[in-house]
Amino acid sequence: MKIIVASTTYPFVEGGSTLFVEWLTEALKSRSHVVETLLIPFSPDYRKMLDQMLALRLLDVSEHGDRLIAVRPPSYLLRHPRKVLWFIHHHRTVYDLWGTKYQDIPPTPEGHTYRDAIIHADNIALREAEKIFSNSKVVACRLKRFNQVDARVLYPPIWAPERFRSGGSGDYMLYLSRITDHKRQLLAVEAVRHTRTPVKLVIAGAPDPEAEPYLKQIRLRVQECSLDERVTIIPRWVSDHEKIDLFAGCLAAIYMPFDEDSYGYPSLEAHHSGKAVITSTDSGGTNELIVDGENGLIPEPDPEAIARAMDQLYDDRDLARRMGAAGKERISQLGISWDTALDSLLS
Amino acid sequence: MRIAVVNNCVPFLTGGAEHLAQALTTKLIEYGHQAILVRIPFRWEPPAKIVESMLACRLMCLPNVDRMIALKFPAYYVPHHDKILWLLHQFRQAYDLWGTDLQGLPDSTEGQCTRDVIRQADSRYLGEVRKIYTNSRVTSERLKKYNGLDSEVLWPPLLEAEHFSCKSYEDFVFYPSRVNSAKRQWLAVESMRYAHSPVKLILAGKDESPADRRRIETIIAEHGLQERVVWYREFISEELKAELFSRALGALYIPYDEDSYGYVSLESYFSRKPVITCSDSGGTDVVVKDGITGFTVPPEPRAIAGAIDRLYENKQAAESMGSSGCALIHELGITWDRVIEALTR
Repeated sequence: MKIIVASTTYPFVEGGSTLFVEWLTEALKSRSHVVETLLIPFSPDYRKMLDQMLALRLLDVSEHGDRLIAVRPPSYLLRHPRKVLWFIHHHRTVYDLWGTKYQDIPPTPEGHTYRDAIIHADNIALREAEKIFSNSKVVACRLKRFNQVDARVLYPPIWAPERFRSGGSGDYMLYLSRITDHKRQLLAVEAVRHTRTPVKLVIAGAPDPEAEPYLKQIRLRVQECSLDERVTIIPRWVSDHEKIDLFAGCLAAIYMPFDEDSYGYPSLEAHHSGKAVITSTDSGGTNELIVDGENGLIPEPDPEAIARAMDQLYDDRDLARRMGAAGKERISQLGISWDTALDSLLS
Repeated sequence: MRIAVVNNCVPFLTGGAEHLAQALTTKLIEYGHQAILVRIPFRWEPPAKIVESMLACRLMCLPNVDRMIALKFPAYYVPHHDKILWLLHQFRQAYDLWGTDLQGLPDSTEGQCTRDVIRQADSRYLGEVRKIYTNSRVTSERLKKYNGLDSEVLWPPLLEAEHFSCKSYEDFVFYPSRVNSAKRQWLAVESMRYAHSPVKLILAGKDESPADRRRIETIIAEHGLQERVVWYREFISEELKAELFSRALGALYIPYDEDSYGYVSLESYFSRKPVITCSDSGGTDVVVKDGITGFTVPPEPRAIAGAIDRLYENKQAAESMGSSGCALIHELGITWDRVIEALTR
């Protein structure tokens, strides 16, 4: 089949959605499909959004390919007779984050007009799709609640999970993710202060372009609390090779973003490395993968509660190992695989 | 520097410009920059789609990018505060091809309006960029003539020069290229009737139409040239092409009125082989200097045959002309060093 994979991109910032598109492309190619991946640069500046949305509407690929799979918003505005959405998140600041501190459009009449136009355009494009899949229940619920459309949950796998391995259990918790405010690496640092055990923390990943102050804040906090011996920061893009080693050697992984759309690739990578995941009750999509006490722990987003979870796994290595092993089972239980994903997308 | 190379694309098709765009992106990274290739789908039929594509590009954003390098219409309309053009060609149907068989656009009012919109948009928006480089003198001249814009030629280098080398000077001349009437392989074959030396001609490339194929096969059959002409009727691999260049006596590159010197010439010189071209071949005169880096002859079979014979009779001269060609390429700055330096300045 000839397939167009379409997405938007914020140039030079790699994150989950970059990998999502890359891996989907690889997976389709590995099944002998011919794939054209279109990555359209997109600025999240609300004053430029409507123009850019119109641009997507005007670019015409409707005569090419047997199917178009649209991923990151608002790439689904591209027109195609066989359009399928694998919807990974809304432009949230005009949806569920409207009225919160994350709202980036002023609540003026003009701001409301921008918001309405974006939602209206989404509603049109969503109804053009042959099928809509979402990457989590959270996102499917939002689609139902805000856009009144049904989406089927199709959990995104990682590429070549067999690359990951367990290398016994070290004495550090690994928080591997882009470094940015809503991933809450700082909360993990605060938790280390409250641990009884000498458990360590490794924070690894590239800081977002605007997250340099946040990184500074983390560093400062580490210094203030004299945690230099216990907290290691690797503030850069981590190669696959390093990543595999970091996961293999950790005691367990931490992934506790605020209200995330999906379980996040780091959680899957941890499980494929046989490691448990500590997340938080308000982390959103991670709660669809992690079952408290089974394949990880879900403390409240409170440093002391998180510290207790860290200590528990440090004290009971056997428990940590069992939870890690349960993680792999949980992945197959949820049907997280490329076979499932591609069968659904192409059926 | 964070650089976006911005080009058009047609989904599922890859042409010469796309290869160049990809190579440029790869080279920018090799030279220590961060670079991405942005490919914007372009549709030109019906003509209204052209204008829609232009508008789409104008409405797009390129955030988090320090420099934009644009290559083609209409991708070069994407706004950016630090935009440099390396113009491969404009939408020629609205310019020099208008009024010819290749006009493409209809003669209707719609067609004329489309032409005018393209011309006006080019004059206005290309005037806003920081610097315009083009790939050839012809492209620069057209830009000056139709839009009144000044530009500088930045010669496109060979994508992978390191594939090419010299092994020997054997008794064949090589002409790898798509086979069509404008590339004039038929003239090359015709010339073999008059070559006195035992030199063979090796063609490599797929015929673009049955007529192109018939024309060549007829000449071969009528004049009994089966022993003198070998034709690989396919896209040969890069390896085979490099191998044949490394052993050839010289290259033949005799298209009619090309804009550029062609990759064939560059590949030949990186293999230290002289190039025979014609006086009406166009851009080849940038690198083919008669008697110094090859021969420039009238587009006549006897003249071409004479040039082939001269290479055979004096292989030492062939060798030295090939080396001079390679030196000239570096002198002219047809290298990635020069391209990257200019585009990131």
